[in-house]
Amino acid sequence: MTCARSLYRVCQFLVFSAATFFASVVCAQFNLGGDKTIVSTDQVRAELLAHAPEGISAGRTVWVGLQLRHKPEWHTYWKNSGDSGLPTQFEWSLPPGVLAGEIAWPLPKKLPLGTLVNYGYEGTVLLAVPLTISPNFSPPPQSNKLQVGLRASWLVCRTECIPEEGEFLLNIPIQGSTALNAAAFQTAWTAQPQNLSATGSRLRINGKALELILEGLPKSLIGKSLDVFPETAEVTNPSAQSSQSWQGGIWQASLPLADQRSASPSTMALVITHEGQGWRVQLPVEGAWPANVKASGVSPALQAALDANAQTPEPAALPGSFLAALLGALLGGLLLNLMPCVFPVLAIKVLSFTQHADDHRGHRISGVAYTLGVVASFMALGLLLLGLRAAGESLGWGFQLQNPLVVTALAVLFTLIGLNLAGLYEFGQFAPTALSSFQAKHPVVDSFFTGILAVAVASPCSAPFMGASLGLAVTLPSVQAVSIFAALGVGLALPYLLASFVPSFASWLPKPGAWMQVLRRLLAFPMFMTVIWMVWILGHQNGVDGVGALLTLLLILSALIWSITLSGQLRVVLASTILLIGIWALWALGPYLLELHSTAENNSSSNATSQTQPQTQNQLQGQWQAWRPGLVEQLTAQGKTVFVDFTAAWCVTCQYNKQTTLADQQLLADLKSRQVILLRADWTRRDAAITAALARLGRNGVPVYVFYKQGVAPKVLSEVLSVAEVRSALSGL
Amino acid sequence: MLLRIYWVLLSLFSFSLANAASVGQPAPDFSLTDSQGMVVRLSHFRNRFVVLEWVNPACPFVQKHYRSGNMQTLQKEAVTNGVVWLSINSTEPEHSDYMSPPQMKRWMSANNGAASHILHDEDGRVGQAYGARVTPHMYIVDPKGRLVYAGGIDSIPSSRVDDIPRATNFVRQGLAESLAGKPVTTATSRAYGCSIKYKS
Repeated sequence: MTCARSLYRVCQFLVFSAATFFASVVCAQFNLGGDKTIVSTDQVRAELLAHAPEGISAGRTVWVGLQLRHKPEWHTYWKNSGDSGLPTQFEWSLPPGVLAGEIAWPLPKKLPLGTLVNYGYEGTVLLAVPLTISPNFSPPPQSNKLQVGLRASWLVCRTECIPEEGEFLLNIPIQGSTALNAAAFQTAWTAQPQNLSATGSRLRINGKALELILEGLPKSLIGKSLDVFPETAEVTNPSAQSSQSWQGGIWQASLPLADQRSASPSTMALVITHEGQGWRVQLPVEGAWPANVKASGVSPALQAALDANAQTPEPAALPGSFLAALLGALLGGLLLNLMPCVFPVLAIKVLSFTQHADDHRGHRISGVAYTLGVVASFMALGLLLLGLRAAGESLGWGFQLQNPLVVTALAVLFTLIGLNLAGLYEFGQFAPTALSSFQAKHPVVDSFFTGILAVAVASPCSAPFMGASLGLAVTLPSVQAVSIFAALGVGLALPYLLASFVPSFASWLPKPGAWMQVLRRLLAFPMFMTVIWMVWILGHQNGVDGVGALLTLLLILSALIWSITLSGQLRVVLASTILLIGIWALWALGPYLLELHSTAENNSSSNATSQTQPQTQNQLQGQWQAWRPGLVEQLTAQGKTVFVDFTAAWCVTCQYNKQTTLADQQLLADLKSRQVILLRADWTRRDAAITAALARLGRNGVPVYVFYKQGVAPKVLSEVLSVAEVRSALSGL
Repeated sequence: MLLRIYWVLLSLFSFSLANAASVGQPAPDFSLTDSQGMVVRLSHFRNRFVVLEWVNPACPFVQKHYRSGNMQTLQKEAVTNGVVWLSINSTEPEHSDYMSPPQMKRWMSANNGAASHILHDEDGRVGQAYGARVTPHMYIVDPKGRLVYAGGIDSIPSSRVDDIPRATNFVRQGLAESLAGKPVTTATSRAYGCSIKYKS
């Protein structure tokens, strides 16, 4: 027997070190006939062992087990494998009357792997299983042996993992003693955790953690740091650091729950280990499992401040940009008077006041009525637009510059307007001629309708302006949108109104002439500038591919319009050819304008791409990090002061502030010296998280500049940001 | 006492940093470069369901689902239903399992995969943000950008192809329920597979 054993050792050594095929063949042959007890791989040597010192008889427990000898660095797993890994699994084939129990798992070890922590075994481990022999068991005739078949599968890992399995067959003599591996089984039994009474111990859910209070651990452990292993997987987070403490003879530990917890057991078994010793305790879980782990790490004080902030209504004062838009619409309306198809009419109308200079009152009434007519029809157009927008929104279209399709549509619209102003094509008159000659009996009503008709008559020229206002208003809230249209109307009616009150105004007006065409051509340029702006926004959203696609489509559109202005056979041939090309291009390039093929990083300053940015940009933007949900809360919780720039590529004020105040080297240096973390939240595209963050600040648009600090209500700065303001806000924190 | 303070501080610190994505909460937004060099941002796919699949072609568990065609079938089903499928590789470049973007692209097409994008997360930031631990680790993000499923691909953690027909595929089930407007019955499960080879 000793000879066999030493030969066996040699074999084990050979298998272990060389793992040659030859060696394993030799060893396999050395075993009992018919048995296959060893499976060797490059990572692990697995052997099925048995322990039946008193033979096999009914009522006895026989031990079998799989011994795993891991090559250095390799490991297999405990019943809860931790963050990753898989527990070793057994499938037994046993004769009737023999029942396999559960694996008696020896104490596990924590096996860190990068940021993950797994529970398992290195070196040599024996996974022992008790076999219960019932009186039903009868050994097969002529063999006098208990045949044990095992299909085992284990995952063996270093950093890489290899799932392996083996089939084993072992015949245990029924009479006589099988105790060759008594030592191995003894080691496995010693490595079992001792049962610990649950008396005095508790396990309760406390927010994001499980609180464990253990009584009855040996006094010798007091003050020592213990390892704790829950037997149920996916409840606690193995890689999160648990905290622990001793209170007299009571040990307390707080085990952070897993963020993606998939088990909510009512009782849990835990194994506690310390230097090769272990205890197992089974405890009912007190408290309710959280439905999901809340991601918010905001302190109650800050949350209260945030809530208070969110309830504060938006400042009632109109933002400066809207006032500018109103003024712009008014000027646009005025300019409309100078258009070739409007100005001659206006000149005649105004001259009529000077001709009938005696009826001042009548003129004034008719002037006001005309103005009302013009404004009313413009507002009606505005409302029509809002109706369309509402219908569109209910269909799920977002009329916002965050949507690439809206940007594309606006670029097309402004190109059409620009081409019209440049004289590539003309709009026909929209109102029927019969309507134009309509006249009401009552002079005031007549003036009112003249106003409405003026809008219709002026349509060939006003269309571009209408289009521009439409483009602007479509992105604004309802009241503001209608106001823009009203301002446009007021602008159109203003000269007439002025002339009705001050007849001498007529003499101030220039004479109709060629200058009107020049002016019209000139106005094409701002329109094309607007197209460039739209292309730039789309570039931020969909990258250079999107820009290429948009410009190509705009070019084809221009060619199509030009071909339609031609006449005869040529027009048919060219227009249909270009139309076909256009349809093909739309099919081929359209996807680049859609979200699916979007390629762009939202903002050039976003830190995710900063590594690939040119060095100069890196230096300029280096301090800015991309905002992401929860980051502010995390940073403030660490005691940091955070400055967030809520911005968007399509927001001109944002870009202005970014290039001026936020590019001020002195200011940036100040912020850096006070260790303020700079975050940039890019709202160029719709982002629900940013929208929510803005809503918490009581805002629904950008720019918003805000300082966050723990325990202080977020400090929101003004939209047109000055260096001095940032400085004073900073010193006030 | 000092030791206790140390533990408390350590646990606080780990709390604030180890906040991985959780089901029912907004899925962390990310932008990653795909195998064609395009930058793909999760929030670009608002209004659509998105499946995130952590992948490492060298992992035997990934091979189980690709060699059997299980993963590709699931990808095709998802994509035909308008779902965006993002396969993310978080293996660090130093590791022997690492595959470059062109290699990943070739591997995916050789396997007839139907992933919308293969993304490269070499610094592991996105993987860590989602608490992805293994390949394959699967996630479903709903059209509002919230995480509705996190866990394994199916109910039988093994590397045996034979187990696939017997297992409940949680991703298929979760997608079917989500697309039908129902809540996901199994919103989390034990993810099984090879540990992700994160940059340490």
